[in-house]
Amino acid sequence: MRPTLLLGACLVLCAPAAAEAKTTVLMSGSTSVYPLSTQIAQAYAKKYPGDIKFRISQGGSDIGIGDVARKRVAIGASSRDLQSGDPGGLVFNKVARDGVCVVTHPSNSIANLSQQQVQDIFSGRVRRWDDVPGAKVTGPINLNVRTQASGTQDAFRNIFMGQSLNVAPSASQKATNGLVQTAVRSDPQAIGYVDFKFTGGTYAVPYKGVACNLRNAKSGQYPGVRNFWYVTLGAPKGAVKKFIDFARSPSVQSTIVAKDYVPYK
Amino acid sequence: MHGWWSDRRIGPLLGAAGVLVLLVIAGMTIYVTKVAWPSLNANGLRWFGPGGDANVQLQEIFSSREPFEYTLRAWPLVYGTALASGGAVLLGLVLSTLTAVFVVGFAPPALARTIEPVVRLLAGVPSVVYGLIGILVLVPFVGNHLISESRKESVYYVVQLSGQSLLVATALLTVMIVPIMIAIVVDALRAVPASWTEGAMALGVNRWRVLWTISLRAARPAIVAGAVLALARALGEAIMLAMVSGGVIFAPNPIDGVTFAFEPVLPLAAAIVQGAEGISVKPYGATLFAMAAVIMVSSVGLSIVGWAVRRRLRRFGAAG
Repeated sequence: MRPTLLLGACLVLCAPAAAEAKTTVLMSGSTSVYPLSTQIAQAYAKKYPGDIKFRISQGGSDIGIGDVARKRVAIGASSRDLQSGDPGGLVFNKVARDGVCVVTHPSNSIANLSQQQVQDIFSGRVRRWDDVPGAKVTGPINLNVRTQASGTQDAFRNIFMGQSLNVAPSASQKATNGLVQTAVRSDPQAIGYVDFKFTGGTYAVPYKGVACNLRNAKSGQYPGVRNFWYVTLGAPKGAVKKFIDFARSPSVQSTIVAKDYVPYK
Repeated sequence: MHGWWSDRRIGPLLGAAGVLVLLVIAGMTIYVTKVAWPSLNANGLRWFGPGGDANVQLQEIFSSREPFEYTLRAWPLVYGTALASGGAVLLGLVLSTLTAVFVVGFAPPALARTIEPVVRLLAGVPSVVYGLIGILVLVPFVGNHLISESRKESVYYVVQLSGQSLLVATALLTVMIVPIMIAIVVDALRAVPASWTEGAMALGVNRWRVLWTISLRAARPAIVAGAVLALARALGEAIMLAMVSGGVIFAPNPIDGVTFAFEPVLPLAAAIVQGAEGISVKPYGATLFAMAAVIMVSSVGLSIVGWAVRRRLRRFGAAG
């Protein structure tokens, strides 16, 4: 009796999976790209029902790049550019761009920060608001940064700090954009950096003289912009190529991507 | 028809369930130790010691390429865990004992009937709720009103005081663990044989002295059990602490006086939550698992100590 029961269970459970015979595309990588990936995948499934099955996991850009190089996934999502230390044979396909804002408390509406100033503040060389020209508050600067594995942290280092300069170790590390936002919102002496979408309740500081918002990033004026990549091993082929082409198609770029991100150029 | 459900069959069946629990625990211990091994092996007992800046060490572990870097001196993390959970349990012991004595001996019956269910309800509030209250209410309040500008100035070159502090962490932990401790102590005080307390009352001893000298003494094993349970919960608490405790590895310095309470701590469990995003980076994952192993071993150690203390105390009392 037992074996029959098991077989019955298998017929019910195993049959649908076997019958559909979809191609499964595995993705892993950047947590910043993840929301965009799920939206594009949903749109794809709507347009081509039953064509590709997606399994999208996160982990950080380095994880995505490492996974795709070791053939564990077909697409590695990365919010950082190709680095010299990356494994060979990887192809970076740009799918979108996204901005990082430096934010302060609304009462501390600094007119502008130069790259040098941002570097001085976040590396701990300048530790008091009194020493920052244009600051509306005085006293010590409270730094809020992201944890090491974060893609935003990586982007901030690449765009604002440069590879050789580290964020001061006394900085408070937050696990998510939302926690940085909350901390900056409630502390007049705080400064931090967040993704475009998390500036609510804070003051987004103009960087290099350009206000930090989606419009300026789209027009190419705002310099604090990073790229979102779908990384493949060798040129994309088959179902993977179809999906990446879909993601890069003008219709997806002008709707899904343009809503919250900057279309790639 | 109850032939199949005979004791002869049920006994081994239930036994199998018990063995399964043991196997799961053993499997978990083996897995955690296995993943943590590179980190434990590379650092040895120096893992627990001070030295260098743990923030920088974690950064280097995270970004290291093969051969991996594992050096971590986790003293500030261990110390932070001990401070936050130890402080919370000490505070909790005082609070819960006094509340329990009030509920059992002094509260009007109507009040006692209200307090008890409310306390039990409080024990079930998920910790993330406390975390939200902490980060949205307590942290800004402490940062903007309790910590004076001159206090921030006095230490700003070493650590930034933003309200995310040992004080908030300990206070919230205390609120989290007190309900369960009150419930345990109340039950224990009620379990003291009535003949003992009535005997004392008959001799003309007042209620306070009866509770203090007889009931509480008899209930000591249960109080220890409650403290151990609470300490285990405090050790493992992660989400709430990760939200309120500052996100920077720092060992508060008692020499700083009052400022000590306003300095940030990062307990072990909170550090794991903080780093969870990078857990698949091999050396970083091993480091986080090493922290998990330390928490696990301390919980087991706590249970054993609690059991030993209860055994000794039981010789003097009836309850527990």
